[in-house]
Amino acid sequence: MSPLVLLTLGVGYLLVLALCALAVERGGLPTRLARHPATHTLALGVYASAWAIHGTLEQAERSGYGYLAYFLGAAGAFLLAPMLLVPIQRMAHTYQLASLADLFAFRFRSRWVGTLVTLVSLLAVLPLLALQVQTLGNALRLLSGSGAAEWLALVFSALIALFAILFGARHTHLHARQDGLMAAIALESVVKLGAMLALGAFALFGIFDGPGDLQAWLDGPGHLAQAETHPLAPAQWRTLLMLFFAAVFLMPHMFHITFAEPLGRRTLLRAGWVMPLFLLLMALPVPLILWGAQRLGVDASLTGGAYLAFGLSSSWWVGALAFIAGLTAASGTMIVIALALSGMILNHLVLVAHPPIAQPDLYRWLRWLRQGLIAAVIGGGWLFYRTVGVHHDLTTLAMASFVGMAQCLPGMLALLYWPGANRRGMVTGLAVGVAIWLAGLWPSLLGGTPVLPALPGLEALAGEPDWYRVTLVSLAANVLSFILVSLATRTSAGERAAAEACSVDAVVRPMRLPLVAGNGREIQHHLARALGEEVAEREVERALVALQMSPLDGRPYALRRLRDRIQANLSGLMGPSVAQDIVDRFLPYRQDGPGANEDIHFVENRLEDYRPRLNGLAREIDGLRRYHRRTLIRLPVGLCAFGEDGELLMWNDALAELSGIPGDTVIGAHRDTLPAPWNELLGRILAEPGSQLYKQPVTLNDGQRFLSLHKAERHGEHETHGGNVILVEDHSEMKWLEDELVHAARLASIGQLAAGVAHEIGNPITGISSLAQNLRYDNDDPELQEAAEQIQQLTDRVSRIVGSLVGFAHGGRHVTGTAFQPISMAEVTDEALNLIHLARSGEDVRFENRCSPTLRVVGDAQRLQQVMINLLGNARDASHPGGRVVAATEADGERLRVTVTDEGNGIDERVRDHLFEPFTTTKPPGEGTGLGMALVYSIVAEHDGQIDIESPPTGQPHGTRILLWLPLHREDAESTDEPDPDR
Amino acid sequence: MYVYRIVLFLVFGGYLFSPLLMSGWGSPGAAWYRPFLIWGVLIALTVWLERKRRLDEQHRGGGE
Repeated sequence: MSPLVLLTLGVGYLLVLALCALAVERGGLPTRLARHPATHTLALGVYASAWAIHGTLEQAERSGYGYLAYFLGAAGAFLLAPMLLVPIQRMAHTYQLASLADLFAFRFRSRWVGTLVTLVSLLAVLPLLALQVQTLGNALRLLSGSGAAEWLALVFSALIALFAILFGARHTHLHARQDGLMAAIALESVVKLGAMLALGAFALFGIFDGPGDLQAWLDGPGHLAQAETHPLAPAQWRTLLMLFFAAVFLMPHMFHITFAEPLGRRTLLRAGWVMPLFLLLMALPVPLILWGAQRLGVDASLTGGAYLAFGLSSSWWVGALAFIAGLTAASGTMIVIALALSGMILNHLVLVAHPPIAQPDLYRWLRWLRQGLIAAVIGGGWLFYRTVGVHHDLTTLAMASFVGMAQCLPGMLALLYWPGANRRGMVTGLAVGVAIWLAGLWPSLLGGTPVLPALPGLEALAGEPDWYRVTLVSLAANVLSFILVSLATRTSAGERAAAEACSVDAVVRPMRLPLVAGNGREIQHHLARALGEEVAEREVERALVALQMSPLDGRPYALRRLRDRIQANLSGLMGPSVAQDIVDRFLPYRQDGPGANEDIHFVENRLEDYRPRLNGLAREIDGLRRYHRRTLIRLPVGLCAFGEDGELLMWNDALAELSGIPGDTVIGAHRDTLPAPWNELLGRILAEPGSQLYKQPVTLNDGQRFLSLHKAERHGEHETHGGNVILVEDHSEMKWLEDELVHAARLASIGQLAAGVAHEIGNPITGISSLAQNLRYDNDDPELQEAAEQIQQLTDRVSRIVGSLVGFAHGGRHVTGTAFQPISMAEVTDEALNLIHLARSGEDVRFENRCSPTLRVVGDAQRLQQVMINLLGNARDASHPGGRVVAATEADGERLRVTVTDEGNGIDERVRDHLFEPFTTTKPPGEGTGLGMALVYSIVAEHDGQIDIESPPTGQPHGTRILLWLPLHREDAESTDEPDPDR
Repeated sequence: MYVYRIVLFLVFGGYLFSPLLMSGWGSPGAAWYRPFLIWGVLIALTVWLERKRRLDEQHRGGGE
């Protein structure tokens, strides 16, 4: 193939890739497809770099199945995704950590750690980048025979850099969603897998006649070629497995695609089996291609074992397929490495050396820097290939890279599983390991003599490959010095806190300190001094939207969360070191308050998130915690808890209902900033030397209430758990009942007095009536007789009124059915009306007693009289002047229906549903107790009756009708019950 | 978590015994696809364990 054809093929492929990314970004391809978990999982296939296409072929030719270590090591890491990758992903997303250097700088609380890890990554990745460029250059040279393959490789490198800049560096935030790039990387995984499977299938069915023929060849003539391979020693194999296992989460491009891109947890868990399957399918064609080339007699010494695929056939399409497989693997790896490394260099070298404080147009400045760094990284890779890479085979370059990156493995494992590790230990271990790696592998890489073989004490490893000796010695020295120095030196408080944040199964326990800034606006103002007005406004707005917070929210708890969110967002923008410097400097905590306490509310929220991950004893204890918390939250009495610093920690459901203030809006606030009247009320009980406040009058939304407060001070075994618990009881009903009791007692006294007075009045009235009767019989004067008759009628009326008063005064006691007698509702109504007429009010209301005197009910006359007094009294109060109130009865089967109908305004529908509940009244305040209808309901229920309301009554435009159903008395039933005298 | 322990056991077991895989290369009578077959079985086992873990998580998520 001519160089021009190859260039066209390569550029065409990269163009397709760019069109795919563009289509996703411009909406040509559905976002759903670009964000599908399968796309994200396939993007992880970036692990299969050019080494997977060409390097593994070189390894298979030398050591047989030893090439599988690259695939099996990575498969092992993906299988352990729930224990290894998911915790790292959680940390990276929570604290917006976009690279290994970010993670280390965050955990070990040192910008220098980040810088060191960046330098190590840069050195380790250069050989891998050079490897990618070398496969491109060699492929171009083999296919085209051109002597200028290196310059063609430079053209491809430039195009790849352009792609990375266009689709990977548009956003300043490293955690920003880059759907186009992800879709392109996923497409690359599909293309390289498809190309490898096609090459494998060609070898199996085009060169051999299927699996049977291949097996026969392997057992026969092919056996000799296989005997020339040198299988890896078990120890070397295991070391390789470990190196490739670590590469999955240490290599900058893998870290970037797995943790910096917004992959979901489920996607990562699914990758636990999808990626091993992908790697299996990638590994399967490798020996087929090798055996096919051996069957054809391709001379590996001419092409190099890595490029045997180009000798499978003279057909142009086989060569093109092998070229595309290599190009797609190399370009994907180069793009993601450039993105990852540019971010690391920017955050940990450039911004550390030149902090962007008060940098005008910060976003654009960062974007330009990043784009320049992407070009520099890929350019550096090409330069390393031209100066160093061309002198070495792929295995040497790959091993130099993977062994170098593995120096971060002890730090990563300690980060996850050893909270006792500290910065000094990590830096010492890494420095020692890297020094051995540099001394052992780099001199030979640069054309000099390795230092390591000359070291004494390593005679046992003599004769072993350099990569193997250097790996063992460097990692052993790294781990040993890391542990020893960590144990021997002190760990700072900041490191301990970060260690808890990073450790698997540890819950972050942040401290509760108030910020100097009082709300979101003030935070923005403070931040503007560091970032400029525009950037500060955007960053604060972003954080507020993420937390669904108001900028005026002044709760200390909310402000701490806002500060954390801003720090995490700035970490995504400029790395954790610079982000921490900015928030520490411009958003400081107040130092004048009480000592720091644990942020209990935050810890609880985190525990809720961790719940699905808890097991065994931790889960049982968490169950108990939730049970006790639920008990407090659902307590039917109001409860709130304050920390020693006056910050509200709990506000239960009953208190939220009583106050009308949801807990979410006040928890974390200082007691002084609570809405009135709670700030004053709770402040009073907290300041009170006693522990109780009884029946405090408080005006709430639904009127005046009387609240009793009880306080308990907490003196926990931990000084950080001190504070106060306050119980808030609503004693309003009890207060009303007490008032009613006093009122009822006063009425009872008046009733007794009235009964006495009535008795005293009764005697003279009887005398007056007798005298009037005598006067009537002893005198023939018609005028006198008429006067005497009127006197008699009036004294009768007085007697009836007095009798009713006496009767009412003796009533009100609860009676049972045994005291029930047949009574006429007409008489009961008359009696009630007599008493009603005594009242001065409602004199112009007309009462009509239409009750049938012949229909009788079984009941207690006094109690039913009380019912009628209440009903008629209410009807009178509801009537307009000149209105009419009608009491009527009607037989309704076994019951008597009693109705009291008025022509008033009627009863509001909302009140009607609660009319029989105590303290429900339609009357103006001070005129009704709200107990009358409750009493009526209770008496009717005692009589096995029913009560209902029609408002307005059927057939009337307005007014109210109260309907009672009481047991009807039947004369015939009574007569049949009487004993028969004839028997 | 019990599922994770099984996976951990599988991975470490595989790490320890994996050198045995290499002995098949070029041995007469040894099926060339043997390592891939074993690998495939391991993947199938992982799929089953992952499904079990997911169901377990759903069950826990629905509790209380």
